[in-house]
Amino acid sequence: MSEAKVLEIKDLHKSFKSGFLGKKIKILKGISLEVKQGEIFGYLGPNGAGKTSTLKCILGLIFPDKGRINIFGFDHLSTKAKQKIGFLPENPYFYDYLTASEFLNFYSQLFQKQKTENIDDLLKLVGIEKSGNTQLRKFSKGMLQRLALAQTLLNDPELVLLDEPLGGLDPIGRKEIRDIILKLKQKGKTVFLSSHILQDIEMICDRVAVLVNGEVINQGRLEDLVSQEILFTEMTVSQINPRELEKFGKTLTQYGNRSLIKIYDPDKVQEILQIIDEKKGKVHSLVPRTQTLEDIFVGMVKQK
Amino acid sequence: MKIRAVAFNTFKEAIRDRVLYLLLFFAAASLIFSRILALLTVGDKTKIIMDAGLASISLFGVLMAILMGTGLVYKEIDKKTVYTLLSKPINRLQFLLGKFFGLMTTLFIMLGVMSLIFIIILLLHSGQITWKFFVSIAFIYLELGLITSVALLFSCFSTPILSSIFSLSFYLIGHLSWGIETLIKKMKPGVTKFLTQVVYTLLPDLENFNFKTEVVHNLPIPPKIFLFSFFYGIIYTFFILVLSMLVFRRRDFI
Amino acid sequence: MRKQILIGLLIISCGLFMGLKLITDQIPREKVPGASIIYIPSGKYLKYASFGYSTLLADLVYIWSIQYFSNTSVPERFQYLTHVYSIISELDPQYLDPYQVGALIAIYDAREFDTAMEILSQGLKKNPEQWIFPWQAGHYAQMILKDYELAKKYYKKAMEIPGAPPITKRLYSNAIYELGDYETAWKNWLEIYKNTDDERVKKIASNHLYRTKAAMDIQKIKHALKKYKDKFGQFPEKLDSLVSQGFLDGIPQDLDGQDYVYDRETGEITTAVIPWKR
Repeated sequence: MSEAKVLEIKDLHKSFKSGFLGKKIKILKGISLEVKQGEIFGYLGPNGAGKTSTLKCILGLIFPDKGRINIFGFDHLSTKAKQKIGFLPENPYFYDYLTASEFLNFYSQLFQKQKTENIDDLLKLVGIEKSGNTQLRKFSKGMLQRLALAQTLLNDPELVLLDEPLGGLDPIGRKEIRDIILKLKQKGKTVFLSSHILQDIEMICDRVAVLVNGEVINQGRLEDLVSQEILFTEMTVSQINPRELEKFGKTLTQYGNRSLIKIYDPDKVQEILQIIDEKKGKVHSLVPRTQTLEDIFVGMVKQK
Repeated sequence: MKIRAVAFNTFKEAIRDRVLYLLLFFAAASLIFSRILALLTVGDKTKIIMDAGLASISLFGVLMAILMGTGLVYKEIDKKTVYTLLSKPINRLQFLLGKFFGLMTTLFIMLGVMSLIFIIILLLHSGQITWKFFVSIAFIYLELGLITSVALLFSCFSTPILSSIFSLSFYLIGHLSWGIETLIKKMKPGVTKFLTQVVYTLLPDLENFNFKTEVVHNLPIPPKIFLFSFFYGIIYTFFILVLSMLVFRRRDFI
Repeated sequence: MRKQILIGLLIISCGLFMGLKLITDQIPREKVPGASIIYIPSGKYLKYASFGYSTLLADLVYIWSIQYFSNTSVPERFQYLTHVYSIISELDPQYLDPYQVGALIAIYDAREFDTAMEILSQGLKKNPEQWIFPWQAGHYAQMILKDYELAKKYYKKAMEIPGAPPITKRLYSNAIYELGDYETAWKNWLEIYKNTDDERVKKIASNHLYRTKAAMDIQKIKHALKKYKDKFGQFPEKLDSLVSQGFLDGIPQDLDGQDYVYDRETGEITTAVIPWKR
């Protein structure tokens, strides 16, 4: 069951007419991808690559020129498919004349009864239980983001689609949302996460697809895309003359009596530690640097 | 069920909108003004009150329908609230119908409030009210339904200002289309006459819902006209709603 | 697939409401077409309410008025004739057609002479340089009332407006003739005859002169004949007897030098030719 396809996109094309003359601009140029049960799928790409357009196609907000989208084997526009998904838009806008609980109550009526979560519990989960009777026009941006998350989780969705969920949040908010995403994964839900902020995806995603200019240029398991090979090691030392270590690597900076040294050969690290130990030097930090998603990402975009 | 949820939300939006109360205030002012106007006339004061009163009710009803109707769909798209709404298990037909019935509920209540003010003024003056008044109000409501559906149609693809102009034109055409009938009578038979006839039949005839004269002068109303005008209104509204759905069903929200 | 259903519904409902529209058109509804007319305020206030589009509003009221007054199903429609045309006059005083059409409706449809005169005099008041209004008033006085005194008055008014065509003077002279003031008529026609180079007008004037002279002559002869009959109890055998008996200084001849025709039985005098067929 864990390998079942939750979301399947095949050869998705979309173009928009721009201007009065109707010159066509291709936004999506044949996107195909599969999201499997229980995974967190990262949908990566720079701004304007077509991430939001893909999501809008999935949700039926725009209509593709060509291609097929299936959710749990159903057509993506069918009620059966929509019953199982939750969507968090990039910049959530809601009816500002409603209160938070009125709003969630309204949305919960759109689902089949007894399938929705308790509204008070949801408000508590996202941490705005005290503002349940406040009109949304008085909400701050962070509170709106939390409410948006609440409406996403309203129907206890099997598939959660998140568009830039961590954008515009403070560090605490980011951590909370990250925790919620991981909790969803624990509960066996599938998460489709679109982002241009790489750290988010790197830390939590199982698989990613990289989208550039409307095309998926790479997709696969994160470990496959990012090699675990150590590129170099960074070491902060003190009470030792950096010159003595220069044959192993390069001194990057010096502040106070500490110096940051970059060592290219991983095998030499043990040797250096021994030398420092002998000279009664002190090691403050030792960080092996592997290839990051960012490195790959920049490389891929440049190739294009 | 889903339609009702959207309708209720639309209703909530309308009754929390200041524009509605502004219009209601002016409608009330206009109704009271009809009483003052009656003081200036020589002869039948009741006639003036009824004329001016019914005109105010119908006019402000139309203004409410147009000013709020043209924002129905446009605002949802413009404010991007439609993104989350339509990602829920609700299809676009349900969405449109919900919007329509939501405004119709609002208009029902507004029409009720205006009628109440009118009845109070009239009862204070002459103490007489006939069943024809309620018929007239019912047909004003039917007319408002048609106007709302037109506003909704334009709202699907146009900005509120343009939609308001279009809907207002529809309203004016609907009340003036009988002029074409006079034109047709004077035309020579031929293709032009036939085409004019077709256009004339196609154009809305809102005079079919206008029983103000009959109420004011207490004229007999042929019972057949109730039935046919009623169905005419219902089917024309249905026609416009289907047209809206055709426009809206494949609209991209960019 | 759903698109086809929608289009199908669209066509069906369109056909249905068109059919219903045709049915409702057949159902006669009692209307009070003139009922709204009392709400039309006076033109002065309407002008302020027209937001500067007063001439357009005048056009609209004019077009509406033509439809309204030709609607035979409203018997009391002429009640507001003056009101409606004074509105147009207030909105666009320089709009000439409505005055004329209003007068026309008043004369031929409403059969209200005074209303027509009122409308026309309003036209003249607003447009003192328009000879057409007194001219038309004179025309109606002459044709409908056969009141040549009134006609004369209006034609004189028209004649005196600069730019009035010569025909006004001719109609004026004709009215004087009809009133029996042959001396003045003769003077006027002679003036017209002398002051024109137009052959056609000269001919018309000449005919009128002929007729005026004949009328004067015939009057004179008849007067003599009456005196003769009073004395002798019967008409003379020949007109010469009038001269020989001293009732006339001489037998007048017409403008062309021809003798008048005398009928002894009735005592009638006529011209030898019809004045218009000389």
